[in-house]
Amino acid sequence: MKYYQRDLWVMLSPYLVGTLLLVALPASVTLYLAFHQYDALSKPVWFGTTNFISMFRDDVFVISLRNSAMFALLSVPLRVLGALLLALLLSQRRRGVGFYRVAVYLPTIIPDVAYALIWLWIFNPVYGPLNKALAVFGIDGPAWLVNRETALLAIVIMFLFQIGEGFIVLLASLQGVPHDYYEAAQVDGASAWQRFRLITFPLIRPWLVLLMLRDIILSTQSTFTPAFIMTGGDPYYATMFLPLVIYEEAYDRFRFGLASAMMVFMFLVLTGLLMMVYLVVRGWGYDDEQ
Amino acid sequence: MFKRKIASILLIVMVVSVLSATQLVGAASNSTQEADSLNRPSQQDATVSFMVSGDPAEKAAYETLVAEFEKVHPEIDIELIHVADDKDFRTRLGNDFAAGTPPDVFLINFRRYGPFVAKDQIEPVGPYLEQSEVIHPEDFYPIAIEAFTWTDGTIMCIPQNISNLVVYYNQDLFDAAGVAYPSNDWTWEDFLTAAEALTLDTDGDGTIDQYGVGIEPSIIRLAPFVWQNGGQVVTGGNTDPTGLALDLPEAREALEWFVALQTEHHVVPDAEAEAAEESESRFINGHTAMFFNSRRGVPTYREIEGFAWDVAPLPVGKERASILHSDAYCMASATENKDAAWTFIEYANSEIGQTVIAGTGRTVPSLISVAESDAFLDPMERPANSQVYLDAAEYLRIVPTSPTWIDIEGKVNAELEQAFYGNISIDEFLDNANERTAGYFSGAEID
Repeated sequence: MKYYQRDLWVMLSPYLVGTLLLVALPASVTLYLAFHQYDALSKPVWFGTTNFISMFRDDVFVISLRNSAMFALLSVPLRVLGALLLALLLSQRRRGVGFYRVAVYLPTIIPDVAYALIWLWIFNPVYGPLNKALAVFGIDGPAWLVNRETALLAIVIMFLFQIGEGFIVLLASLQGVPHDYYEAAQVDGASAWQRFRLITFPLIRPWLVLLMLRDIILSTQSTFTPAFIMTGGDPYYATMFLPLVIYEEAYDRFRFGLASAMMVFMFLVLTGLLMMVYLVVRGWGYDDEQ
Repeated sequence: MFKRKIASILLIVMVVSVLSATQLVGAASNSTQEADSLNRPSQQDATVSFMVSGDPAEKAAYETLVAEFEKVHPEIDIELIHVADDKDFRTRLGNDFAAGTPPDVFLINFRRYGPFVAKDQIEPVGPYLEQSEVIHPEDFYPIAIEAFTWTDGTIMCIPQNISNLVVYYNQDLFDAAGVAYPSNDWTWEDFLTAAEALTLDTDGDGTIDQYGVGIEPSIIRLAPFVWQNGGQVVTGGNTDPTGLALDLPEAREALEWFVALQTEHHVVPDAEAEAAEESESRFINGHTAMFFNSRRGVPTYREIEGFAWDVAPLPVGKERASILHSDAYCMASATENKDAAWTFIEYANSEIGQTVIAGTGRTVPSLISVAESDAFLDPMERPANSQVYLDAAEYLRIVPTSPTWIDIEGKVNAELEQAFYGNISIDEFLDNANERTAGYFSGAEID
């Protein structure tokens, strides 16, 4: 064995141990519990597929499934698009561009709980700055988190401001596009839109795909904090998302078996979704080898 | 050969890292043990962990309780675990049980202890109480003992208090509106008349600035009115309920009256106003005249300087009724030193113990002698009319204590909120509530 290989293993080992203990082990336990009835106080009892059947009889679970899907459908394209537009806008070296880049990234570094509390204030129907600002333009703002129609939208909106990571990735990818291409295109008389469509877009496509896949995963998890802190799933389950339902089943009601089954189901749906997206955009040239 | 080498190295690394981690932990706990042993007598003490929630004032009271106890019982060391927030407390408690390391003694509401009893996690204190020379069941208000008596007649936990639902009212706002203070036998009509007179658009801009009433749309707030109207919340009794009884005529009438407070009379903030500022905050800030709460609000309300306030009993319907809000000291069945844990529970519920806790203002003592003493009825402390909580003792009732009750509450409350804020009709509420809770009642199969 070569020395560098041994060193490699030594360096990797903390992560291997960590992954085993913190990911592989809990994941296997979850899979095991999904087929058991388990309240954490008595021994798990074999339950077959009952958990998987009974979760669909629970209205709240079905609602949360729909909400989570709706959230992903709205937030993923908007977030990627937002990051792309801002990256395009701020990719050129210009006066003050550094300031704007920092401003775009800043909301991303706010801790989730603090971020949720800030938005709880922003969305306050009477005293919140958002509705006060809307009132200046004569718009009677909705009672964001109180209305069943706007509550989910409000959570999507607050997530549109945490796109710093996608923004940085796209900014870097834009800077990886060779400048000669644009110059050549300009000589040929290509318009700005043509330059974007025929040069920029094809070259940053892999990054866009990567961001989309990442955001889909993120969208299933990131709803937990706002739902838990801001709404508790209200109004009338309008912001009840999968992670909160799973948490409540497990830690409020001690139905770890059912919660595990939901978790496994969520994992399967997510895997299916990612594979689907990957297949659809395969032609976009994303390749692991790149 | 090559692979085996990698595997062995990997194994060594794993073992080493696990070992060093345990050593670190070991070293850390050794040093704390050393530090502890310097401060404590060297003989082997019994340690009892005791978990409570509450604000800093309550924490201080429990610290006093523990200190007083340890003076009398130096051989028992109480490890006080304080969790500030109620909800966090319940999560922590559940997780500690799930992890197999519950606190030896903890406080819990009668609506929430059922699941723990059903899973044999609570050690019944009944047998200890029978042997006790310090406290006896008849020293306590019977309703509190009833709330913590299981189906088989065993007393499971020792109730700390008989807190109950009352009306907190802002005397300054009553004076300003020229409305007479609530009497001890005011009726639903009197209440509604006062509420309407106290709901005001003070600056004339078309939005209400002062509400007559703040009341949470939840089943424990609704229940007393159902009872007062001769109805029931559930069918089949409190230990083994078989279904909701809210669709029966008397209950339905009370439900309609309760919901109409918001939907029709608008004396309670609507959903938007409630989200803008919660009713309790409105009351504390002096722009809600009457607020429904148990005794738990008193420590906070005592800090109010802007206006005078007092408490009144619930307005009376066809009969008198209010709802018990009692917590009890329970012992986990996993407790190692049960005698030591009982000694502490016994002390905490003796006259001395309950007097210390009554000093917070948070509890209505469950011991009749302490409740009727100045420790609770202190004329120098607000509310002046604390006798209200004690007068209620004879007509207090409880909601079910069955293991799934708290799930039922959650489902019903979600629907009730919709009805209360006018999003669904009473019929829809009843249909939804019955349907969503059916699986949690006796006889239904649930996971």
